[in-house]
Amino acid sequence: MATTRALARLAVRRTAVPAMWTRSFATVDPITKVGETINPSRPVVPESKTSTAKEPIPEKGSKIKTFHIYRWNPDEPTSKPRMQTYTLDLNKTGPMMLDALIRIKNEVDPTLTFRRSCREGICGSCAMNIDGVNTLACLCRIPTDTSKESRIYPLPHTYVVKDLVPDLTLFYKQYRSIKPYLQRNTPPPDGRENRQSKAERKKLDGLYECILCACCSTSCPSYWWNQEEYLGPAVLLQSYRWIADSRDEKTAERQDALNNTMSLYRCHTILNCSRTCPKGLNPALAIAEIKKSMAFT
Amino acid sequence: MSAQRVLHLTLRRATTPGLTKFAPAGRFMQQRLAATEHIPQSNAESILVKQRLQRPVSPHLSIYRPQITWYASSFHRITGLLLSGGLYIFGIAYLAAPVTGWHLETPSLVAAFGSLPFAAKVAAKMTMAFPFTFHSFNGVRHLVWDLGLGYATKTVIRTGWTVVGLSVLSSLYLALV
Amino acid sequence: MASMARLTLLRQACSAAPTKRMASSIARSTINHASPLSRQPLQSAFVRDTLPGASRIATFHTTSRRPILPPLPQKVQGTLNDPTIVPDPSPAHGSYHWSFERLVSAGLVPLTIAPFAAGSLNPLMDATLCALLLVHSHVGFQSSIIDYFPVNRVPAVRSLLMWILRIATITVGVSLYEFETNDVGITEAIKRIWHA
Repeated sequence: MATTRALARLAVRRTAVPAMWTRSFATVDPITKVGETINPSRPVVPESKTSTAKEPIPEKGSKIKTFHIYRWNPDEPTSKPRMQTYTLDLNKTGPMMLDALIRIKNEVDPTLTFRRSCREGICGSCAMNIDGVNTLACLCRIPTDTSKESRIYPLPHTYVVKDLVPDLTLFYKQYRSIKPYLQRNTPPPDGRENRQSKAERKKLDGLYECILCACCSTSCPSYWWNQEEYLGPAVLLQSYRWIADSRDEKTAERQDALNNTMSLYRCHTILNCSRTCPKGLNPALAIAEIKKSMAFT
Repeated sequence: MSAQRVLHLTLRRATTPGLTKFAPAGRFMQQRLAATEHIPQSNAESILVKQRLQRPVSPHLSIYRPQITWYASSFHRITGLLLSGGLYIFGIAYLAAPVTGWHLETPSLVAAFGSLPFAAKVAAKMTMAFPFTFHSFNGVRHLVWDLGLGYATKTVIRTGWTVVGLSVLSSLYLALV
Repeated sequence: MASMARLTLLRQACSAAPTKRMASSIARSTINHASPLSRQPLQSAFVRDTLPGASRIATFHTTSRRPILPPLPQKVQGTLNDPTIVPDPSPAHGSYHWSFERLVSAGLVPLTIAPFAAGSLNPLMDATLCALLLVHSHVGFQSSIIDYFPVNRVPAVRSLLMWILRIATITVGVSLYEFETNDVGITEAIKRIWHA
């Protein structure tokens, strides 16, 4: 029995070429390229020049939908990013884009890389650009119109770690720079807790719900061009969340930190941020409130 | 050791590239054939720095969906630059006119413009009027936003298209006046 | 058997040596061969990998598309846990600048409507319109230069453009003064040309 199994495996293994010899064809020799900088804005190879990975076992009456997904592998650092096409049967796929991605990874191409965690829009991991708009893959329904092809990119104008995984280091560093915590010099009046009236608490609605998925910041053209210095909508929304907090005693310092050419005033009310927010928040309004509060100070 | 077992063992070794490791021939098995290399923790930073240098930037302008929000905003800037650029070019040319011998005084400009055929007049007026009306109406929209009003996404979209409609109509009116 | 195994190990180590992160790359090439069902699409997906290196680099170098302000390779200042540097407050470039710009823009609104309503402007209002237009244009150009020529990317170009802008603004200011004093004034000129 064992012998037959081994023989069967030998038969199934049709490619007799071991991995090391196929690798000798590999053209990019990473060791000579390590540390070398490569044009970060190298163009993407369009899907017309790459192949298509098809639905594993297509059936009759299947609703085949085409997905074009941005791919880039850090193990081949000099290679251009490319658009890889996958087709899936929507009858066998869950309703959300994240379901499609997970199904591709499970059944078609295990090398596809993306972040996901909660699958219900509370962790913000699966933020990506789907059909041209930044959103959470877990909250984005797959359009059932199979004649339209879906395109999935990482968050726009971010450095790509791999495939759909963007590097958000700068985003988190900027978040840290606004000191996102309560700052007080005086102890609470009653010695127990910092109390707020209902009206004061209401000001924080629409601000504290932000999950920092970076959808809004990476939808902002101003942030695309000046992300090293401009803080971007998400971080400014969080800044306003602490400026608006009645318990915080460092409001003036927080405003001073934004009072320069770049940090806040690169916002030109483009409003892509509010339009794209998957949680329905309004970062542009928060930024406008900051600007208003600082107008004549 | 029975002959069958020896045969089995040999076959197994021949089929698995991972030496004596036994891996089931599942559909998506992953094998790590690599010998690992010890890299001290202190190297992590330098390796990361090298990796960062090689990262591409994801596409942005070319893939973001055309929406009234950012299209209107970029158009606002382009029209502003066109109008101000026109003003600056005219201003500098006007100052240089005595030296270069151009005639940029109002009467000669009026005469030159008046001699154009009707269609050219309308086209020239349209190219001047549309950026002006768009920039003006959208400028008012921006001023209202700066008061903290009209930030609901629906309102933003509606006012955006209203501005487009108003500026097209008013520039047509101005061009045909 | 053992010596054979060691030989294979050595060969694998050699082939893997060039890549530091060989685990994932080899895992990938293994998947190519080891999963018969997904083999077809995957293998074709990586067909590009077997292109000769020269041709790939050639296509990279002969690309004619050049973005205007291409992003630089990623560099991160400080460690992951350091905040980004907070600039010193400078209200003259921040809040005052913003408020001033809004006041100028708001002031332009009635001055633009007035000629349409009244037919023309008196010389003083015309001069105010010119001055505000000039300031508004200057701030607009300035804002564009700040946006598209970041000081940490192209410091020389940035300061050059800023100086060109300042000189141009002063020149245009003089020119508009000349136009207002020696000619008919900007609204009247536009009106006459429009009805020519």
